[in-house]
Amino acid sequence: MRDGQPTVLPGFGLTLGFTTFFLSAVVLLPLAALMLLAGSTPLQQLLAAIASPRALASYELSFGGALIAACINLVFGFIIAWTIARYEFPGRRLMDAAIDMPFALPTAVSGIALTAVFSTNGWLGHYLDLAGIHVAYTRLGVILAMTLIGMPFAVRTVQPALLEVQRDLEDAAETLGAGRWYVFRTVIVPSVLPALLTGFTLAFARALGEYGSVIFISGNLPLRTEITPLLIVMHLEEFDYRGAAALGFVMLAASFVILLAINLLQTWGHARMARGEQ
Amino acid sequence: MTAAGAAPGSLQELAGRPGRATVLSALGRRCLIGLSVAFLAALLLAPLAVVFASAFHSGVQKYLQTFADPDTQAAIRLTLLTALVVVPVNTVFGLAAAWAIAKFEFRGKTLLVTLIDLPVAISPVISGMLFVLLFGMRGWFGAWLAANGVSIIFATPGIMIATLFVTSPYVARELIPLMQQLGDDEEEAAITLGAGAWMTFFRVTLPKIRWGLLYGVILCNARAMGEFGAVSVVSGHIRGLTNTMPLAIEALYNDYDFTGAFAVASLLTLLALATLALKALVERTGDRQP
Amino acid sequence: MSITLDQLTKRYQGVPVVNDVSLEIGDGEFFVLLGPSGSGKSTLLRAIAGLSGLDHGRIALHGRDVTHVSARRRGVGLVFQNYALFRHMTVGENIEFALRVRRVRAAQRRRRRQELLRLVALEGMDERLPAQLSGGQQQRVAVARALAHEPQVLLLDEPFGALDAKIREGLRRTIREVQRELGITTILVTHDQEEAFAMGDRIGVMNCGRLLESGTPQDLYTRPTTRFVATFLGAANLILARQGSDGPRWGARPAVHGPGACGAREREVVAVVRPEEIEIARSSETLACSNFLGRGVVEEVLFTGALERARIRLDEQPDAPILAHANGDGAVLIETTRPQFEQRAFAISRGQSVTIGVRRAHVLPTPLSSFTICAPNSSAAERLAGNSLLLDLSSRMKTRIRKHLEPMLGASTPSRDSTAALPGTAVIGARAGVASDAKWLLEHGVEEILILPEHAPAPQRVLIHWTDESARSATLAASASVLRHLAAEAIYIDVLPEQTSTAERSFGIRALLDARSEARAAHGLEIRTELRFGVAAQALEQRLSESPGHMLIVGVASTSQLTSELAALLAMARWPVLLVHRERGAPAHSRSAA
Repeated sequence: MRDGQPTVLPGFGLTLGFTTFFLSAVVLLPLAALMLLAGSTPLQQLLAAIASPRALASYELSFGGALIAACINLVFGFIIAWTIARYEFPGRRLMDAAIDMPFALPTAVSGIALTAVFSTNGWLGHYLDLAGIHVAYTRLGVILAMTLIGMPFAVRTVQPALLEVQRDLEDAAETLGAGRWYVFRTVIVPSVLPALLTGFTLAFARALGEYGSVIFISGNLPLRTEITPLLIVMHLEEFDYRGAAALGFVMLAASFVILLAINLLQTWGHARMARGEQ
Repeated sequence: MTAAGAAPGSLQELAGRPGRATVLSALGRRCLIGLSVAFLAALLLAPLAVVFASAFHSGVQKYLQTFADPDTQAAIRLTLLTALVVVPVNTVFGLAAAWAIAKFEFRGKTLLVTLIDLPVAISPVISGMLFVLLFGMRGWFGAWLAANGVSIIFATPGIMIATLFVTSPYVARELIPLMQQLGDDEEEAAITLGAGAWMTFFRVTLPKIRWGLLYGVILCNARAMGEFGAVSVVSGHIRGLTNTMPLAIEALYNDYDFTGAFAVASLLTLLALATLALKALVERTGDRQP
Repeated sequence: MSITLDQLTKRYQGVPVVNDVSLEIGDGEFFVLLGPSGSGKSTLLRAIAGLSGLDHGRIALHGRDVTHVSARRRGVGLVFQNYALFRHMTVGENIEFALRVRRVRAAQRRRRRQELLRLVALEGMDERLPAQLSGGQQQRVAVARALAHEPQVLLLDEPFGALDAKIREGLRRTIREVQRELGITTILVTHDQEEAFAMGDRIGVMNCGRLLESGTPQDLYTRPTTRFVATFLGAANLILARQGSDGPRWGARPAVHGPGACGAREREVVAVVRPEEIEIARSSETLACSNFLGRGVVEEVLFTGALERARIRLDEQPDAPILAHANGDGAVLIETTRPQFEQRAFAISRGQSVTIGVRRAHVLPTPLSSFTICAPNSSAAERLAGNSLLLDLSSRMKTRIRKHLEPMLGASTPSRDSTAALPGTAVIGARAGVASDAKWLLEHGVEEILILPEHAPAPQRVLIHWTDESARSATLAASASVLRHLAAEAIYIDVLPEQTSTAERSFGIRALLDARSEARAAHGLEIRTELRFGVAAQALEQRLSESPGHMLIVGVASTSQLTSELAALLAMARWPVLLVHRERGAPAHSRSAA
């Protein structure tokens, strides 16, 4: 597009028509079904499903666990992105490629693999067990799985932002007499802050909805290690569509809020960049 | 430098040396690399290794036996069939969506992009549930489907539709930024040289974006074959009939057949590794550079 | 004619980016469209290629109307700034693309490919991929590709923009040679005036979507008609001067003669003096040319190789010449360049006091030389000085704004006794009694008055009207001067009485056509025309109220018209109004042959 003027390129009607049709049929229609079902459920029943003790416990684990996992990813995501962006060492390219592993690996596979590694007789679980730390079938295990699944999002959003921080800028700050830590705090962190927060939010969103990799390591003990998606599955297995839809509605609402947050963060980031370029 | 008079080799002097290769920064560098490697090793490498270690734990014989099982074979067939149907449909969708969004300005574009991204943002379990609510026994179309003898939920079509939903964004998300970045100049040049719409698309646009498209398709394929949550909800877990490979892993795992579970998992892990390798290749071949 | 553009207009979000452009380009001509970025030149080129639609106007190529022909069937060759080569095809495939589209046989394609590669001096490069070529070579391939299907016209969109200077030079020569050899009509778009001079048979200068002037490089350089062209093509000193019968005179304000003696009045004009037309001498006795400009001090001397560039600060004296574009009380700096032999004859250094003369000056035909704010008190003057339209116009016209306090304005009974001499266009604030202010100013020798309301949006349409045919030429000249600096459309409105007979109506239509052709011929201004019926002031008011963003330019022949017919319209104070006054029977300044 140049200057936003209409182009002579063909295919606008065809492609937009097909896209709109596809999205309506595959995305909008099912969403409408959920909304209508949740909306048509009597309020009493809806509240009962949303606020049952099991549901409340599952929110605590899903939201709390996702939050902790996102925090871990915020820190480690930055460290890993920094390491890959700034340091040259053997295996750097491999590390870079491996970041996407949780993204490409089927969640069921990472679920059973994590369980195998961290169970009491697993490779790492064995040592942790000696230290009195139990990972598999505890809330810690849930957080671990959530961390794994959100990690690529945290790293991949921060990485380009870090690459964009010009070394010149740091050099300039240093020649002006600023110390390294001061440069880090005043030059680097502010310029990657939007990306950091976006990565945090993306990791949180991903962890919140995660199912496959969590259910194996969680052990699914009622009120202890049940995540909300699992509760939805259980409702569905009992053909309690309304109960499932009610919980689904809560999760969807959370997703929408997160999407909104991400959009706002990105607008903020772009605005900062645009200002920076002037 | 003021350090000229200081005792040679003192830490103060070393830390104050000009340039980036100071002792402190070298120390920090080692710490950070070590931390990253440890974190990734525990979270990525160990699980990866454990998959293959467990799969071959009881020998190659036992490993191969898993694939002789008719149920496992059926799961592999179903997974391949699903990918075969879903990936082409989503490729066409991705191309159409990317063309419309990258080449034209229209109202509601932001909304359209959000809608395309939506399946990534919502939990796979909810994605599956959406279709249960539509096509399940007590769903919108449930009664009508039952009356006409069509089964979608707990059958192959349901698995395909749920997979279609979950994997729909991948090709489009890969292509939209790529096409926006590459611009319209080549297409416009083709048109002024007399090329028609299809010729412009097939001879100019498609070759231009082929690597990005390939990666999008491969990624879409990896997600389609590996989808667990959404498929789990709509499949009904009928062995030999509606179990895909990830569901077969779960079934074997729950039966304490760990060798079998990890054997199937090893196949999917190889697929993931191949996907990553291809991604690295595409990024290096890079049709992103002009 | 090979390319005929007729009143092309392209708006983007209501603002014209290409504004009423008409142009004829002859067979085999190399035409350069020159303008700053955002002037609409690329949009115009894309419209000719069919890549961007039009809101108004027609395009004909070799006599065939192609306005509604799609880009793929127009048969033009377009070369893009960023080459736009098909990166996955070899050089040969790129060049053959247009032939392949037309299903030309392989043997013939190959022949044509060899021919074109020879033409752009890239023989033997057939099998390379674009990425393996340098920028200059890629652009050569792009030129060859655009020529493969033997297009009727070749369009080049800033083709050298991405290349460095040395390569640019060579490629320019190649393109010029190819163009001559094929005799193909060519349009080149560029923002580089050096390139325009080097390549164009004719140059068209664009600004704010308008084609301001077109002509040979020599004509445009030595006899520009607009300040924009004067300053955009090469360096220029714009100096306010008095136009006497014997040419421009510097310094002092124009003398005011009593009302009624308009013809004898020396008008303030804008003179263009090129830096190389300035002579520097020790004293006025040693000045070789007769036209003494003033004395000054050398502020800066720069050695640039062939030429020496100097800036000279003119001494401050009451009747020293004034630069048109040095706003406020800043120093008057004259730019000069001198060749080596003059430097040897008289060496200058910083701080030296010298005399300067003008060998040759060119007077711009624009009637709007400068602005003089007239207000009853200083706070009102300040308010006017901050008016966005005035600031916009003065910065685009590169002219100055003076302030003049006139207590007689706004008084209930304006008296006639004042000796104030007001140079240039008077600027006054709109108010209820503005008509009598305007009348008073006109009676004191002012010929153009800009009436500004407090808040008015930037004009998108300028309505032009005159109450008397004798004011026509002057009004058109002033309109052209304003419109060159505004991204607005021009519409001439003629108003006939309600009971006009059919026979008389044809006179009205002829008047419209006359106005249009005079605007085009004498000022290069494209205007559209509308015919209305009723009372002039009411019809104008109705048209102005149709949508926001209007400006009105109205020509009058007698001051009495202001307080009678136009008083109510002027008092509304919702639009900027430019009043142009020429006494009936007075000799017109620029009555043209049209």
